[in-house]
Amino acid sequence: MGEFKVHRVRFFNYVPSGIRCVAYNNQSNRLAVSRTDGTVEIYNLSANYFQEKFFPGHESRATEALCWAKGQRLFSAGLNGEIIEYDLQALNIKYAVDAFGGPIWSMAISPHGSQLLVGCEDGSVKLFQITLDKIQFERNFDRQKSRILSLSWHPSGTHVAAGSIDYISVFDVKSGSAVHKMLVDRQYMSVSKRKCIIWGVAFLSDGTVISVDSAGKVQFWDSATGTLVKNHLIASADVQSIAVSDQEDSFVVGTAEGTVFHFQLVSVTSNSSEKQWVRTKPFQHHTHDVRAVAHSPTALISGGTDTHLVIRPLMEKVEVKNYDAALRKITFPHRRLISCSKKRQLLLFQFAHHLELWRLGSTVATGKPWKFLVPGKNGDTLPLSKDADHLLHLKTKGPENIICSCISPCGSWIAYSTTSRFFLYRLNYEHDNISLQRVSKMPAFLRSALQILFSEDSTKLFVASNQGSLHVIRLLEGSFKHLHTFQPQSGTVESMCLLAVSPDGNWLAASGTSAGVHVYNIKHLKLHCTVPSYNFPVTALAIAPNTNNLVIAHSDQQVFEYSIPDKQYTEWSRTIQKQGFHYLWLQRDTPITHISFHPKRPMHILLHDAYMFCIIDKSLPLPNDKTLLYNPLPPTNESDVIRRRTAHAFKISKIYKPLLFMDLLDERTLVAVERPLDDIIAQLPPPIKKKKFGT
Amino acid sequence: MVQLRPRASRVPASAMVDEGQPASEEEEAAEHGLLLGQPSSGAAAEPLEEEDGEGDDEFDDEAPEELTFASAQAEAREEERRVRESVRRDKTLLKEKRKRREELFIEQKKRKLLPDNILEKLTTAGQTRIKKSSGKLKEATLQKKKEEYEKGSVSKNAEEKVQKVQSVGQNKSYWALRLKDQDLRDSRQEAAKAFIQNSLYGPGTNRTTINKFLSLENKRLPVKKAAAQFLNSAWGTQKKQNAKRFKRRWMVRKMKTSKK
Repeated sequence: MGEFKVHRVRFFNYVPSGIRCVAYNNQSNRLAVSRTDGTVEIYNLSANYFQEKFFPGHESRATEALCWAKGQRLFSAGLNGEIIEYDLQALNIKYAVDAFGGPIWSMAISPHGSQLLVGCEDGSVKLFQITLDKIQFERNFDRQKSRILSLSWHPSGTHVAAGSIDYISVFDVKSGSAVHKMLVDRQYMSVSKRKCIIWGVAFLSDGTVISVDSAGKVQFWDSATGTLVKNHLIASADVQSIAVSDQEDSFVVGTAEGTVFHFQLVSVTSNSSEKQWVRTKPFQHHTHDVRAVAHSPTALISGGTDTHLVIRPLMEKVEVKNYDAALRKITFPHRRLISCSKKRQLLLFQFAHHLELWRLGSTVATGKPWKFLVPGKNGDTLPLSKDADHLLHLKTKGPENIICSCISPCGSWIAYSTTSRFFLYRLNYEHDNISLQRVSKMPAFLRSALQILFSEDSTKLFVASNQGSLHVIRLLEGSFKHLHTFQPQSGTVESMCLLAVSPDGNWLAASGTSAGVHVYNIKHLKLHCTVPSYNFPVTALAIAPNTNNLVIAHSDQQVFEYSIPDKQYTEWSRTIQKQGFHYLWLQRDTPITHISFHPKRPMHILLHDAYMFCIIDKSLPLPNDKTLLYNPLPPTNESDVIRRRTAHAFKISKIYKPLLFMDLLDERTLVAVERPLDDIIAQLPPPIKKKKFGT
Repeated sequence: MVQLRPRASRVPASAMVDEGQPASEEEEAAEHGLLLGQPSSGAAAEPLEEEDGEGDDEFDDEAPEELTFASAQAEAREEERRVRESVRRDKTLLKEKRKRREELFIEQKKRKLLPDNILEKLTTAGQTRIKKSSGKLKEATLQKKKEEYEKGSVSKNAEEKVQKVQSVGQNKSYWALRLKDQDLRDSRQEAAKAFIQNSLYGPGTNRTTINKFLSLENKRLPVKKAAAQFLNSAWGTQKKQNAKRFKRRWMVRKMKTSKK
């Protein structure tokens, strides 16, 4: 494997924003997640829980409610008073409709999918009609005294339950008047001064209304008479979210202490027909408030202020008890947020509203090098003679988040894009100082780019826009020239998510969300070939230096190698597909986000995901299911024969984790950017106090 | 006709009429006339007071003076006329002042408004069609235009928060927004955010710091460990920087002196 010096980087201060709303779509098995900074992410739960699309955030768009409507339409409403519909094909916002009721706190779509209700700050509940391409205001219901914080439709669409502060009202949809007003106790059987906020309501088809409030109670009400049926006190802090399954035999609630409770409808005795709601399972997977829960047919989904998305499949609902039934916790991003300039040893970190440029430290000391994969033979930690340097802190103007950013390999160009603008900067280095110059008058078609890439010699810039087109721009000294635009193939708008360019500058590979990977010839500016599409989305792409082999990693942990000049899969790729990957390789949780190559060793592929990095040696034999996948080299006193027998192509190392980025800087140096979970937790908002005996 | 000597007290004329017996109709009439005609009792009190003073001097010695009805009436009428004149003069003066101020305001407004031709174009454009303009402008210029057009905007729909006007100028396109509505919307959003912050993190919620939360485990271990964030690395950054700089300079100085 060779010996490397490794730069362990921990100064990337990445803190994701907390999850605010979660919405599950049953038809397509997709999950929409909205965060507190306004980003909306779409996870494909059947593609190994991969984040396939996202809408960048905006400072004024704090979403408070997220819903799916009939026909894969996504709506969100927030504190700026607008209802927004998202275009899932073009990855932008279709339109925003102002509800004229002040900030919107809650939204619910009717069971038939044709009507939409919003609950506003001024206490009004507004009904909108969902038409083919827009929504239209229909009428207002009776105005209530305080803000409407939660809404729920009856499955038949005739009644609506609305939770407010200290009371719940049940409305009749046809007349719009409040039929019942149920007053909620502020504290369980005692007096309290704090108002009781009803964070969530759910309406069942037998007329029961379930409410969760800030006193920690789950209450069952009868909507026909407007009376309390049952009261469960489950927490000493707020219960903030509730989600009911489609069959209405189980629901899940999330509390502010981080606990998620599962309630099920269970028969009283084993052969009686009478059923009652029983609290069955507590799950403690979060440390902070669980502000959103969702119930899919087989799993409980929760997300909150501690930024993890936890998907817990229910054992009784899962058919086959295999790895699919394990807990999934999505913490780290599924895209690359770091780019690297190898020549000048610079790293560019992308945050939501600014970029940071760092120069790596250097050391003159030489010590025993890290021999990878040898237990007990750790290398030395070399002292830095020159510290890592924070060169640049580039803030973006405006309220929008940065979508993507890139630094050129020579280190003299930085480009980044927001939804409405594209920025290109030229960097000049004199001795130890750097100066920045903005290239003005960028063309309008470059904005809202999903991926930016510079060519190896830093003369060309490739931009993949969310309209599906790919722009090629030549960079000159301080200005640019638009060379060509590759339009999307068959007239469908399909956003290109990932780009890869070959080191010799001839080939460009681009992957979309559904079609295969397109390979373009840059010299002749036309499409060369298309890799056949696979039913799982692509997570990483790279083109090898001399052989021009395109290596593609998919979200189900399959890795393909395609030879671009020959227009077919390579021999090695066919062999491994025939044999199949090791079962432990396929059971990894996190997707591969970066692939790179060694300049002098064409048989090596370096890839990494959040918890491991691996060097695939194509010359060694492939492991089958019986061999040990993670086998560091045995100590040298073992005989040669045994070593040859157990060595296989996948050299995995789990020394650095959690990894956000790993790359080969030159032949003898690696850079690994880690982000320990404790550092993220240290910057989160305050959690609820837990009282433990003895402290 | 004997006029009873009025008391030296400052009781108003009506009370005096009640107490002492009204000696004559004229006196009564004069007093009533005085009461009815005068806007301010000060003017009415004055002539009486003068007589008071004189009356007090010659209190015991001389006989009271004689006053005919006609003279008193003439006097009263004179008084009324004088007062009316003064009031009229005041009113005209005030009117003049107001007129001048109005003119001044109109002039100022004219100076701030745009020339008439552009205003005409605005009104005709606004009435024919109102459709969205697609051009983009930087935030700063948009603000300026907003303020300008607020004064001169012609039609204001109470319902429409955003009024988009067809471009009038040469190459520009813009949106005109009512700033008043924007402030209302922002204040409501701030109130909503404050409500959420208060209900989740405000007083009465049982919140603790991250440090204490992560250190709970450390407290219960058999060998107690320190808190999770024991060191405060943000303490004294300026002092540390100064110390570093000083150390560098001292080293350089030391090198120089040791070389010599």
